[in-house]
Amino acid sequence: MELYCLETDTVVRARPDPNLLGDDRVLQSLLTIEERFLPQCSYFKCVQKDIQPFMRRMVATWMLEVCEEQKCEEEVFPLAMNYLDRFLAVMPTRKCNLQLLGAVCMFLASKLKETRPLTAEKLCIYTDNSIRPQELLEWELVVLGKLKWNLAAVTPNDFIEHIVKRLPLPEDKLDLIRKHVQTFIALCATEFNFAMHPPSMIATGSVGAAICGLQLNSTNHALWGDNLTELLAKITNTEVDLLKACQEQIERVLMNSLREGRRQQHKQQQQDQNNPRNKALNDQDQSSTPTDVRDINL
Amino acid sequence: MSECVWVHTHTHTNTFSLIQAELMCVMMSSPVLGTLCRGGVEGGVGGSARRCLFGSVDHEELQRDYTLLMRAELQDASRRWNFDFIANKPHVGGDIEWVVLPEARVPSLYHDCTVGPVPRPKGAGPASDLEEDDVPKTPERCEGAEKHTLKRKQTNITDFYQAKRRVVTSRKSGQ
Repeated sequence: MELYCLETDTVVRARPDPNLLGDDRVLQSLLTIEERFLPQCSYFKCVQKDIQPFMRRMVATWMLEVCEEQKCEEEVFPLAMNYLDRFLAVMPTRKCNLQLLGAVCMFLASKLKETRPLTAEKLCIYTDNSIRPQELLEWELVVLGKLKWNLAAVTPNDFIEHIVKRLPLPEDKLDLIRKHVQTFIALCATEFNFAMHPPSMIATGSVGAAICGLQLNSTNHALWGDNLTELLAKITNTEVDLLKACQEQIERVLMNSLREGRRQQHKQQQQDQNNPRNKALNDQDQSSTPTDVRDINL
Repeated sequence: MSECVWVHTHTHTNTFSLIQAELMCVMMSSPVLGTLCRGGVEGGVGGSARRCLFGSVDHEELQRDYTLLMRAELQDASRRWNFDFIANKPHVGGDIEWVVLPEARVPSLYHDCTVGPVPRPKGAGPASDLEEDDVPKTPERCEGAEKHTLKRKQTNITDFYQAKRRVVTSRKSGQ
């Protein structure tokens, strides 16, 4: 008789627990404590001298790319951004140390949320070895101290299931909706404008934007325009006007991001025309895009 | 460009259907959305995400900043816990009274930290040996600990809590 080890690399996940998701107290507790984990101030105005908003976007985009490339859990990136914002709200930081801070925040968020966390060595390679593992570990202590070791912050992702469960949505679209909501949440985390918003509002606005974007509201009266906003507002005790503004802001950021993408694409095409070898490479790259990605309609 | 003008609307639907058609070709090249939709590059470290963002890091300056920050942190902790962590003894007076306990009476987790190949002191009993094995060593304790002995002593505040019991008289802990 032979013994086989059937363990694979697939991540084993717990099923959604109806005792947690169905109990209103869990949602209410999340809503009660979420404000504790917001950054203390709008730090570009009152704390930082060297760091500017576009640098935050740069480091955020890099962090998102690392998280995606390493296939981190969805909430790792928003949680890391929460750490980054909270740290920057209390500590004047040099521009040249911002990437180190980003790496430390991913390191911590990954340790908190994942069964196989990112290693210090890997993160240092992603900075193109501009920082050393030893430095990452030392600054981990500094960041932990400034965050007062409060790492289990509430993120917008914590609200997704609670909100989705309370809406009359078609069962077969739920996965698609979740995917879109997660995309919007990640997008919000790259924008400083959303850093001071409560996570529940970002989650609610993202769900609203996802439903409108997927045009699920055309079939169900309860999900039409204002009906949807009111329904959403009630679930997370958000003011209707604030929620509306948040959803519009999310859609604006999405549009800007798409426009930016178009510009980059245009630039890429121009470069390709100048260099025929690049063009061949690029074509190859595009054809290897998985087909399911093309099926996502935002 | 002109086919995609943002129209401010409360129903949102029209705006989104406008962009839907051309979205896919654009999405893949957007820095953020492209990343989210590609779902990452297969393989190890060093895809397109590998880059240095803000120029070279001044390692000496970083080290200086770190030392200063940790010293400030330690002073803060000394005040808060009424304990001189550098001299490893309690301050006189204050809100918190410290009591010395023999090492045998506290869990092995709180015993003096041994690093790397240094043999573990025997006589702690088999039960506590087991416990000690269960405690994962953090990488920073294993790596370069000898080189940075002095600094380590400063940074690991928890190292100094061992073998003592605190009696809080009036203060709320953690404040």
